[in-house]
Amino acid sequence: MIKDSNVPMAMTFPPFLVVLLLALSTGPLCDAIWLNIPKTGTKCVSEEIHSNVVVLSDYVVVSVEDGQTATIAVKVTSPYGNNLHHRENVTYGRFAFTTEEAGNYLACFWSDNRTRGSGEVVVNIDWKTGIAAKDWESVARKEKLQGVELELRKLEGAVEAIHENLLYLKSREAERRSTSETTNARVAWFSIMSLGICIVVSGLQVWYLKRFFQKKKLI
Amino acid sequence: MESKWRKIWGLIGLLLLNFVNNVSSLSLTITKVDCVYEIVRSEGDIVSGNFVVVDHHIFWSSDHPGIDFSITSPGGGILHNLKGTSGDKFSFKAPRSGLYQFCFHNPLSTPETIAFYIHIGHIPNEHNLAKNEHLDPINVKIAELREALEAVTTEQKYLKARDAVHRRTNESTKTRVIGYTVGEYILLTIASVLQVVYIRRLFSKSVGYNRI
Repeated sequence: MIKDSNVPMAMTFPPFLVVLLLALSTGPLCDAIWLNIPKTGTKCVSEEIHSNVVVLSDYVVVSVEDGQTATIAVKVTSPYGNNLHHRENVTYGRFAFTTEEAGNYLACFWSDNRTRGSGEVVVNIDWKTGIAAKDWESVARKEKLQGVELELRKLEGAVEAIHENLLYLKSREAERRSTSETTNARVAWFSIMSLGICIVVSGLQVWYLKRFFQKKKLI
Repeated sequence: MESKWRKIWGLIGLLLLNFVNNVSSLSLTITKVDCVYEIVRSEGDIVSGNFVVVDHHIFWSSDHPGIDFSITSPGGGILHNLKGTSGDKFSFKAPRSGLYQFCFHNPLSTPETIAFYIHIGHIPNEHNLAKNEHLDPINVKIAELREALEAVTTEQKYLKARDAVHRRTNESTKTRVIGYTVGEYILLTIASVLQVVYIRRLFSKSVGYNRI
């Protein structure tokens, strides 16, 4: 990543720097969560996303057993059941898509049967949606921003995302309020109706039995 | 040679600034115990996050014990321990760098879905750079601004998850009101019809003459 051919070979990088450079060069993978995939069964992560949102995700198998990295299988499905990404027997991969429908997007991981050893597989998953998945490099190149300007542009993007989220929360709250009010009105109406039905049914009973006994000449 | 090292360190400092965004907002279904791990790259980073139990079904018994949550530092010490919650926020300053463990423990056997969000915020300060490099104060200010915005985003994710839970409760109440009321009407009618049928049978001649 940082190439400088004038540095003489005798000057070795301190090991911390090497690790840091390696970490930085693998990009966003280093700021991700690690998950345990059990030996049998699948581990699924999901997120509720609305439509027209960019989702970008990288996954890497971290655990090494017997000198070889374990392999996993991945499957990503949309809320309507469409298969968005399906790979078997891989150690790393990346998937990116733009959501078309709003709903629960599911990414499932399971370990392949071929892995030996009794341990669990640890996978590093980096899941980014919306503003976090934006490719700032291309924006910087297109608009020729750098340094402080680029950082401020990123902050502006973050503020816009916050604003959108707030509007979404507001609309959901309004929906919930209308549902609550409907339920409230319904409870009141149905209780009164239930009382009415009780009275009507017992009235019918009394009338029917009176007719029955009069027919039987008991009254 | 000095200037070259200075340039390299400057570039690294700038790059470090770029990688402070950390977004992992996900839902996980846990059966017994499930752990999520995160790497904190430098000590002093502020780790903040929240989690909400989404699948909290309180059908017949309202004494669901809730989910236990614990955060373990890379040294093995437990930083945070919550028992029997249905969602909470947390925030702490990482005492050291390394792998942090966020564990959810489900005391019951029914699987529960948990929506969680963890954010690790890093503000560059003097300790991270070499002696020859000085820190541009504007970068620090930008990092602080970014962290403030991330705090708002974290709070919003929490509100979003809680809103999803309340929405579920509301919709289930709505369907339950209709279901139980219609069921109540039907049962009432059936009970009264059965009453009438029974009384008719009591007075019917074929059962017994003047049995009453």
